[in-house]
Amino acid sequence: MTGAGNAIPPRPRRAGPRILLVLALLALTAPWIAPRPPDLQEDVAGARLLPPGTRAHALRTASGLRIVTDLARTADGWSGRRMRTIEAFRDQDLLAPPEPRLYLLGTDALGRDLTSRLLFGLRHSAGIALCAVALALLLAITVGSVAALGGAAWDALLMRGVDVLMSIPRLVLFLVCATLFAPTALLLVLVLGATTWTGLARIVRAGLQTLAGGSLRAAAQAAGAAPLRVLARHLLPQLVPALAVGAALRFADTVLLESAVSLLGLGAPPPAVSLGGIMASGRESLAGGWWLTALPGLLLAVLVLALRATATSLDRTLDPPSLA
Amino acid sequence: MRAFLLRRVLAAAPLLLGSLTLLFLLLQLVPGRPFTAEAGAGVSPVAAERLRRISGADQPIAARYLAWVGGMLGGDLGYSWSERRPVADAVQEAASRTLLLTGTAIALQFAIGLGLGLLAAAAGPRLDRLLTAVAGILYSVPSFWLGLLLVGFFSVRLGWLPVSQIHSSDAGAWGTWPRLLDAARHLVLPCLALALPGAGGIALFVRDEVRAALAEGLALSARSRGLGRTRMVLRHGAGRALLAVSVLFGLAIPGLLGGSVVIETLFAWPGMGRLAYQGTLARDEPLVLGCAGVAALLVIAGSLAADVLSAAVDPRVRESLR
Repeated sequence: MTGAGNAIPPRPRRAGPRILLVLALLALTAPWIAPRPPDLQEDVAGARLLPPGTRAHALRTASGLRIVTDLARTADGWSGRRMRTIEAFRDQDLLAPPEPRLYLLGTDALGRDLTSRLLFGLRHSAGIALCAVALALLLAITVGSVAALGGAAWDALLMRGVDVLMSIPRLVLFLVCATLFAPTALLLVLVLGATTWTGLARIVRAGLQTLAGGSLRAAAQAAGAAPLRVLARHLLPQLVPALAVGAALRFADTVLLESAVSLLGLGAPPPAVSLGGIMASGRESLAGGWWLTALPGLLLAVLVLALRATATSLDRTLDPPSLA
Repeated sequence: MRAFLLRRVLAAAPLLLGSLTLLFLLLQLVPGRPFTAEAGAGVSPVAAERLRRISGADQPIAARYLAWVGGMLGGDLGYSWSERRPVADAVQEAASRTLLLTGTAIALQFAIGLGLGLLAAAAGPRLDRLLTAVAGILYSVPSFWLGLLLVGFFSVRLGWLPVSQIHSSDAGAWGTWPRLLDAARHLVLPCLALALPGAGGIALFVRDEVRAALAEGLALSARSRGLGRTRMVLRHGAGRALLAVSVLFGLAIPGLLGGSVVIETLFAWPGMGRLAYQGTLARDEPLVLGCAGVAALLVIAGSLAADVLSAAVDPRVRESLR
C-alpha cells in the first residue's frame, strides 16, 4: 500500500487565516488604535501630501496650529518647513512646546492622516461587505431550501430567477439602483447582498438535493422530526463547510465591488471613509501622492488574498481530499 | 448540434425577458409618481396631468409593462434627457467602443491566463510555486487599482502612454497608420487593467485542471512509457485546459462588463460603462435602464456563445442536453 493515492494530504496553509485575523483585529479596534480621528484637518497647508514616514511637529501659536517638518532650534525659537518654505516661530509666540507627529503612512491632500483613514476605511468596507454577505447567506439559505425541497414548480421558478439575476452585471445593477434611489450605506448593503446570494443559493440547493434522498433525512423523519426541524437541525448543518467556503469567496468579491462603487463616488456618503473613497481622493494627486492610491489598494488586495487563501484552507480542512 | 443550438437559444430568450422584467420591477419600486407637482415646483397640476398622459404614466401597470418591454425589445430604449437624444443612439455609439475594449481585454485575458496556467502546470515545483503566487496575486488585485497604478507609472511618471480618452484630440487629421497606432496606444492601459486580474484567475484554474488531467491513468501510463513533461502537458493537458476555458468564457463576461464601468470611467473611455455612470450621476433613468438592458443582452449572448463553444469542444456537453 504505497502509492500516490495513499499520501498524506498537504497540511493546510495558515498564512491566509492569520492575516485575516490581524486585519479583523485592526478593523475592530480602529477607533482606539488610530493615531488621530480620520477626518481631522489640523493645518491643511502644512500637513497636505506628506509622504509615508514623515516626522513632523505641531506648533501651537496664537493664530492657530501649524504643522511643520524639519523642525530645528534657532537662536530665539524654532524654524520648520511648511509649504516648501522655511518658517520661523519665536518662542514667545508659541503657546506650548512643539509636539512630535509621526505620519506613518503619510497624509492626503487635505492634511488628514492616512494611517487613521486606512484603518477606518478597512472597518467601513469590510463592515459593509460583512453585512451584505450575511444578508446574502440568509437569502441563499431561504431560496435554496425552498427550491430544493419545495417541489419542482418552485425549483424551476426560483432557479430561473437566479439565472436572470446573474445575467445583469452586479455593478450595472447597482448603477440602476443608485439612479432610482438615493445612494446610502443601507442601499449599498441591500444591493450588494441582493446580488451576491445567487451562487450561494445554488450551493444550498445542490447540497440539499443530494442530502434529501439520503439516509440522514430518512432517519430524522422516521424519528418524527417536523420538516423544518429536519432542515434546520439535520440537513443545513451538513452544508456549513461548503457555505463557509462560498461565503469567504463572496466576501472577497463584495469587498472589491464596494470599493469600486466608492471609488466612483456612489458609496456611502461622507463622513463614511471607505478604501475606494480614499483611492478616489488619490486619483487627483497621482503625481504628487502615490501613497494615497497605492496603500488603500494594497490593503484591499491583501484582504482579498487573505480571504481567498482562507477559503482554500477552509476547504481543505473541512473537506479534505479523499484518501482513497 | 443544430438541436442543441436551438435549445440553447430558446432557453436564452426567457432570460432576456426576465432581466427586462426585473428592471421594470425596480423602476416600479421608486417612491412617488412621475411629474408629481411638489409645493413650490414650477409645474401646475394641469400640466403634470398632461405630462402623465403624454408619457403614458397614467396607464395601468400591465399596459406600461407591455409598452416598456415591447419598446426595449423593439430597440426603442426611450429618450435620454441628459444626452438629449434617443437612448438607443447613445448606447449604440458607446457599445461598439465597449466591445472594442472588452473584446481586446477578453482575448488578452485568456491568452495570458492560458499561457501562465499551462506554463505553471508544465513547470517544476519551484517555478510552479512562483507562477501560482504571481497568478494568485494578480487575481486578488482590484482592476481599478491596477489601472490607477499603471497610469501613475506609465503615463504620469514615464510619459510613455496616454492618460485617458480613446484617441488623441488631433488624431482626425492624421493618416491611417498613425491613427491606428494612436488608438492602440490608448487601448493598452485600460485593457491591461481590465484583463490582468481575470487572467490570474484563469491561470490558477487552468493549472489545477491540467494537473488533475496529468494525474489520471492515461497520462500516467504515457509518462511511464517515457513521454516528456512538455509533451505530456500539450497532449494530455491542453485539451482539458481548453474545456476549462470554454466554461470560464461565459462566466468572464459579466465581470468584464461590470469592470468596464470603473475602468472606462477612470480612463475617460467613452463606452457603455461610462455612459451608464454618467447617467447615474445625472439620474437619467431611461439611459441607465437602457444600458443595463443592453448589458444583460451582451451577457446572455456571451454565455450562449460559451455554451456553443463548450459543446463544440466537448462531446459530453452535446450528449447531456440531447
